[in-house]
Amino acid sequence: MACLEPMLRRRQLLAASATTIPIFLALTACAGHPDPLDGPPPLSADVRGLLDAVTAESNLILVYNETLSRYSALAPALNPLLAEHRSHLDRLRGRIIEPPGKSVNTGATVRPRVPGSERSAVTQLLSAERSAGSAQLRRLGTAAPDLAQLYASIAASESTHAEVLARLA
Amino acid sequence: MTASKAAIAALQGALAAENAAVYGYGVVGAYLSGAAQLAATSDWKLHQDARDTLQAMLTKLGATPEPASAAYDLPFAVSGTASARRLAATIEEGVTRAYLAVVAVTDPTLRTFGALAMQQSAQRAATWSGTTTAFPGLVL
Repeated sequence: MACLEPMLRRRQLLAASATTIPIFLALTACAGHPDPLDGPPPLSADVRGLLDAVTAESNLILVYNETLSRYSALAPALNPLLAEHRSHLDRLRGRIIEPPGKSVNTGATVRPRVPGSERSAVTQLLSAERSAGSAQLRRLGTAAPDLAQLYASIAASESTHAEVLARLA
Repeated sequence: MTASKAAIAALQGALAAENAAVYGYGVVGAYLSGAAQLAATSDWKLHQDARDTLQAMLTKLGATPEPASAAYDLPFAVSGTASARRLAATIEEGVTRAYLAVVAVTDPTLRTFGALAMQQSAQRAATWSGTTTAFPGLVL
């Protein structure tokens, strides 16, 4: 079946009624266009990177929460860092457009074990911050420019957290 | 070697920020003493190195590095230790914003270069200001 798209002039398209436009859209499924009847299209690299970033941030927040629940004396030092991670998560989640009525699962995927000493717990957080920052850098390569800037900014924030934690450890 | 106009413009922006930082740290150091002055001197040298690196990168890309200005307007008056430390933090925030523009170019190597430079300046800003921020470099 030939595609209609090249045959239709712009004027004809503008004149099309509300009932003919969906038909036209269905017919344009050939020649490289996704067929709307095939279900949702695969996630783009940007969306996959964003979902990974959200999950990583959720994991980091969980590690902080578990650490704080065991070592409450660390709260004055850790709470400001935790608050910034929550800001990171909010900002990243805000970039995800969820289909109506559906929410994307972006919860934590780890079950952190808090070490038996306060110092080891801080070292674990330090390691987690450094890993998270490195992962942000790996997402830069093909991300859209504004998304790459968000990842780089969060990585910079995480590097400052690592400095704070290194002094604490 | 060819480079996009956007990449060269972003690197020129980072160079301008580094030139301003080299000038600014001269003021910062003049109002500090002891360990703080040593830290300012160390950071001043780091910015000189970064400036040299950017100049070399631009030359390699076939561009002419923009020269430093003879003098710069300070964002606020510096009159003692506290305002000198605040100036150092402000300088680093400006440098971080400049490297954020490098992260927006399409070349992945330049993006990583910009992101790593942001980490260095964000850490120095946090050290001078005594506080971290959630989104270094981003204007929210």
